[in-house]
Amino acid sequence: MAVGKSVPMLDSVARVTGTVPYPSNLKLPDMLVGKIFRSRVPHAHVMKLDVSAAERLPGVVAIVTAADFAGDDKPNLHFGSPIQDQPIVAGDRIRYIGEPLALIAAESAAVADQAMDLIELEYEELSAVFDAEQAMLPGAPILHEASPDNIVRHSKLRRGDIDAGFAAADEIVEEVFSSPMAQQASLETHVATARWKEGKLTVWTGSQSPYTVRRVLGAIFDLDLENVRVIVPPLGGGFGGKGNVRIQPMAAALAWKVGNRPVKLMMTRAEEFVTVTKHAAKIMIKSGVKFDGTFTAREVSIYWNGGAYASSSAHLVPAGMLRAIGPYRIPAVHVDSYGIYTNLPIAAAYRGAMSSQGVFAHESHMDTIAHLLGIDPLELRTKNLLRTDDLFATGERLHDIHFVECLEAAAYGLGWHEPLQSDNGTIKKRGRGLAVMMKNTIANSYSECRIELDAEGRVTLFVSTVEMGQGGHTALAQIAAEALGVPIEVLAVTGPDTAETPPDAQTASSRSTHMMGNAVLDGAASLRQQLAEAAAPILEWSPDDLSVADGYVFVTTQPQARIPYTEVLGRNNIDALTATGKYSTNEGKLDPDTGQGISTPDWHQGAGACEVEVDTQTGKVTVLRYHSASFAGRVVNPTLAGLQNDGNVIFGMGASLLEEVAIDGGQITNPNLSDYMLPSFLDTPVELKNVSLEEEGSSFQGIGEMTLPPVAPAIANAIYDAVGARIRDLPLTAEKVLRGIQGRTDHER
Amino acid sequence: MSFELLQPDSLPGALKALAQHGDEAKVLAGGTAIVLMLQQKLIAPTVLVSVGRIPDLAYIRSEPDGIHVGPLTTLRDMERSLVIQTHFPLLAQASGEVGNIRVRNQATLGGNLAEADYASDPPTALLALGTQVTATSLRGERTIPLEDFLIGFYTTDLEPDELITDVFIPASAPGSRTTYLKYRSRSSEDRPCACVAAIAAFEAETCTDLRVAVGAASEVPQRLPAVENLARGQALTDELIGEIAAGYADNIDTLEDIRGSAWYRTQMIRIHVVRALEELRNGRR
Amino acid sequence: MSDRTLTLQVNGRPYTLEVPSGQTLLETLRESLELVGVRDSCGIGMCGTCTVLVDGRAISSCLTLTAQVENKHITTIEGLSQDGQLHPVQQAYIDHGAFQCAYCTPGFILSTVALLGENANPDDAAIREYLAGNLCRCGSYVNILNAVRACRTIDD
Ligand SMILES: Cc1cc2nc3c(=O)[nH]c(=O)nc-3n(C[C@H](O)[C@H](O)[C@H](O)COP(=O)(O)OP(=O)(O)OC[C@H]3O[C@@H](n4cnc5c(N)ncnc54)[C@H](O)[C@@H]3O)c2cc1C
Ligand code: FES
Ligand code: FES
Repeated sequence: MAVGKSVPMLDSVARVTGTVPYPSNLKLPDMLVGKIFRSRVPHAHVMKLDVSAAERLPGVVAIVTAADFAGDDKPNLHFGSPIQDQPIVAGDRIRYIGEPLALIAAESAAVADQAMDLIELEYEELSAVFDAEQAMLPGAPILHEASPDNIVRHSKLRRGDIDAGFAAADEIVEEVFSSPMAQQASLETHVATARWKEGKLTVWTGSQSPYTVRRVLGAIFDLDLENVRVIVPPLGGGFGGKGNVRIQPMAAALAWKVGNRPVKLMMTRAEEFVTVTKHAAKIMIKSGVKFDGTFTAREVSIYWNGGAYASSSAHLVPAGMLRAIGPYRIPAVHVDSYGIYTNLPIAAAYRGAMSSQGVFAHESHMDTIAHLLGIDPLELRTKNLLRTDDLFATGERLHDIHFVECLEAAAYGLGWHEPLQSDNGTIKKRGRGLAVMMKNTIANSYSECRIELDAEGRVTLFVSTVEMGQGGHTALAQIAAEALGVPIEVLAVTGPDTAETPPDAQTASSRSTHMMGNAVLDGAASLRQQLAEAAAPILEWSPDDLSVADGYVFVTTQPQARIPYTEVLGRNNIDALTATGKYSTNEGKLDPDTGQGISTPDWHQGAGACEVEVDTQTGKVTVLRYHSASFAGRVVNPTLAGLQNDGNVIFGMGASLLEEVAIDGGQITNPNLSDYMLPSFLDTPVELKNVSLEEEGSSFQGIGEMTLPPVAPAIANAIYDAVGARIRDLPLTAEKVLRGIQGRTDHER
Repeated sequence: MSFELLQPDSLPGALKALAQHGDEAKVLAGGTAIVLMLQQKLIAPTVLVSVGRIPDLAYIRSEPDGIHVGPLTTLRDMERSLVIQTHFPLLAQASGEVGNIRVRNQATLGGNLAEADYASDPPTALLALGTQVTATSLRGERTIPLEDFLIGFYTTDLEPDELITDVFIPASAPGSRTTYLKYRSRSSEDRPCACVAAIAAFEAETCTDLRVAVGAASEVPQRLPAVENLARGQALTDELIGEIAAGYADNIDTLEDIRGSAWYRTQMIRIHVVRALEELRNGRR
Repeated sequence: MSDRTLTLQVNGRPYTLEVPSGQTLLETLRESLELVGVRDSCGIGMCGTCTVLVDGRAISSCLTLTAQVENKHITTIEGLSQDGQLHPVQQAYIDHGAFQCAYCTPGFILSTVALLGENANPDDAAIREYLAGNLCRCGSYVNILNAVRACRTIDD
């Protein structure tokens, strides 16, 4: 049985010898270097953009500007999935600092850099807006004339009688939480190499969404989709930032203008920060509760700062709406989720997408309520947590719900009810906190794979699942190996390559193991059927009487009458058997006015509990112990699952304690890894433990993100427990904590 | 990025190159600061004079009145030097707190001092130790007390044609107790938000000499002799420690950056001076 | 004018190359010698993906000019395995699942080799401290710690 075992990643040797073929390694003959000339003002009308001197510089092969897109026979300047409001390069309007204005293809980076200095730009500055709430005010600068209120998307949820709910409450608690802009910061930056040959476009890129990239490139260049090929080698990290479509249109446009040579475009670390970010969010949350801890109503308003273009915000804003409510029984719920245009780089998914911000709010809020009512935070939660067959705020009936188990696993792992170790005098204080999350996954989604068994007994799995470190290919190989009854060693996984591997929506939102895993099971079943049919004439039994397992086709009632797969193919002169596997989910339609309906086929569920030590004189927080739990259904590979759970906690600690993109007048002032710090070995808790909860008969659930969103509120709640300071604004910096501590003592005096 | 790289293999050769190219030239030692600036095009020298091939500029030499450290000595070698660990433990500590292993393997003491980045560790320890920097040019040699050497943000008293050729750290009074505290407000990998180096000599409970330097909180690390003198001939009571800490907190004009506001730094100075002095009083060497 | 010819000793082999004076060791190893296990990520000494050993000591090749290491012995990840046989540290990283995307892995492995060269039996605190300058965005630290523990001569 391959499933349930910690087999090493299929390409482990390549991973430790440095030979993984990342897209950043790609070198093609005659390849040119691409560079981007970017705006230095946040909002302006472009009066003149003159690249002629730069074009004449020896070594410069082509320069692309918006002028190249003028005319009916030219590619489309604008792209976006689903809203096409983003120009490949800015035309008459600049909307953020760092926006591309001209693209340079040159023989070397040095030449491209020189060319950059020869480009002449004249513009007239417009007033700009950077704060989401301010952008919604009347009179604010307008980014897109089609959206005069600067709202990309407003989604709503209305359930129950909210006024009656608040009227029935013994206490009404209202709080405001905020999360800053952050950056995904995968260690490999965004990269795309494009080549045109005989009217066909090929792009090699680090992307989580190869088929979306193909569709969007097809639309830009008006190509039939079979003429666009997107190849995705293993990524040096994705974390949501490489979802949707990012720099691929620029690489493709450069190669299109160049004509016969490939062009490689790779972002510098600083450019990463203007390529994609995490939504800054402000969340107002208000709850009505009875003294016994029963909820009567909850109202939530969320303002997502989407940056200058719609991009992923269009579909993430409704998802974020559901993720800010909390997995609790609340009879009346109103939510308004606004995605807003501002003069900043675009915001998109960041590991734990659109959950972290909301979970920080609702789980900190739960603790505020618990303390107000004098109820233990674990008890208040377990009393109210949703169970299977409960109705969620969307009105949908829940299935396979394990919030209580997740939370208790984390809490008991930590030793929630055990006494805290005594403090080191009065300077350092310890405290504990916990949090739980619920997240809808991507609805109405489709995955497909192809499985090939050849005459030598080798199995190849063709999938468009992106391998970005999560071990997705290995997990799928394990599932296939088990379903086909072959050892993992005969498995190879290839893809994504849109010319070779069948469609898959994207590798995001922790969907792959579940969706593609089921597609693999479907494909394996069909392959087994083909084996039985091919073996039937040889064994002289009907296919229905045959079984397929452990490398053999055999007569179900006489297992000794068997032949190996290789022989089945050999005796039939078959080079290879091929099967297609599919899996789709149809659920996922919410009423746009009320948010009622079915939002997701499955719920992602996770929890965390931690113990912190706060230095009361500096405000510095040390997370000493952290226990996480996620619901995994059935674990495919315990080592990989553990890496995901722990990796989430560490990633979440970055967002909780360190990460904030600093902005001054629209300019990012810390676009490097020394001013924007990521968690180090020493920043991670000495005791870091995780569990993946399984259930008999359950299917594989994705586990890419569940243990991340609880991290910030668990730490914030532990800080409150230790020193009585409630910090509602991420990250939880030492200075904020110290101010919180002193504010409290000043108040008490 | 095009410049001429000179790699003289003697000190006179290097000094000659610097004299010849003046402002156009830059010195390259470990490279951890200057290569970064070159890469990011923050500087564009026409000549880069590498001092890496000059023999005998990496040394830690013990003499009766103190130790001499060569400018090309890496911070890692200082951290691991037995002589430094034994006689100037706070300097070993401060060197060992810098950045990461790789940086310490590359970065040199001369480079660290000449860079004069306010968010640094070694200069604060060296200031408390009463360090003297020797600068040499074709015009001759001069010795500059560290407090006069460090002038402001990324600014030193060095002339463009001068090289740091020696760093001298006078011996402290026998039996002195020392400490170095680096406070990081963010990751373990951060530069200091504030740091404190302290040295004290005691006769029984009485403090006979106290030196305290506070760094990373203002343009240059600072000693406040008037405040230090409060300790002379006194027992370091909690009250006196509080007074000294307040003296530092109140008299240093703190700066604001991504590691903390000016207000926060003032708090950190106070807290860490207290912690440093308590440590000295309680007997850490 | 600003190009120079120099000899580098990389993974036990001499290479004579024409190198622009401002070229970093990272660029030379990656671009000219195609040693792609040396990787660029932060470019400022913070992350460690560009780690190489120079005479056995770990350094950031992004902050080193190639000319600075002329004639010194440079080891990259490509030089660790011998005759197709993985170095014990590489094997330990596989055995303990000490990576995800693995973009950071060569740097971690080289830092581990340098650590063990200085101290054959580092305790957990020493391991965490030594490796703290290598960042893993995927967050594989727990398994990395387990892998390094397994490489100690006295494993407990
Ligand atoms: C990732 C990272 C983290 C860091 N963290 C810290 C930290 O926590 N604490 C800390 O204190 N520092 C820190 N630093 C800074 C580091 O200490 C300095 O960059 C280093 O000491 C500079 O030394 P170098 O030999 O590399 O200098 P170089 O980069 O070679 O030179 C630096 C400057 O000094 C000049 N110079 C060098 N040698 C001489 C000489 N002999 N005479 C005259 N001028 C000379 C050069 O011209 C140049 O202007 C960090 C650096 C990095 C990259
Ligand atoms: S790329 Fe050199 S340390 Fe990050
Ligand atoms: S495994 Fe991805 S950065 Fe370490």
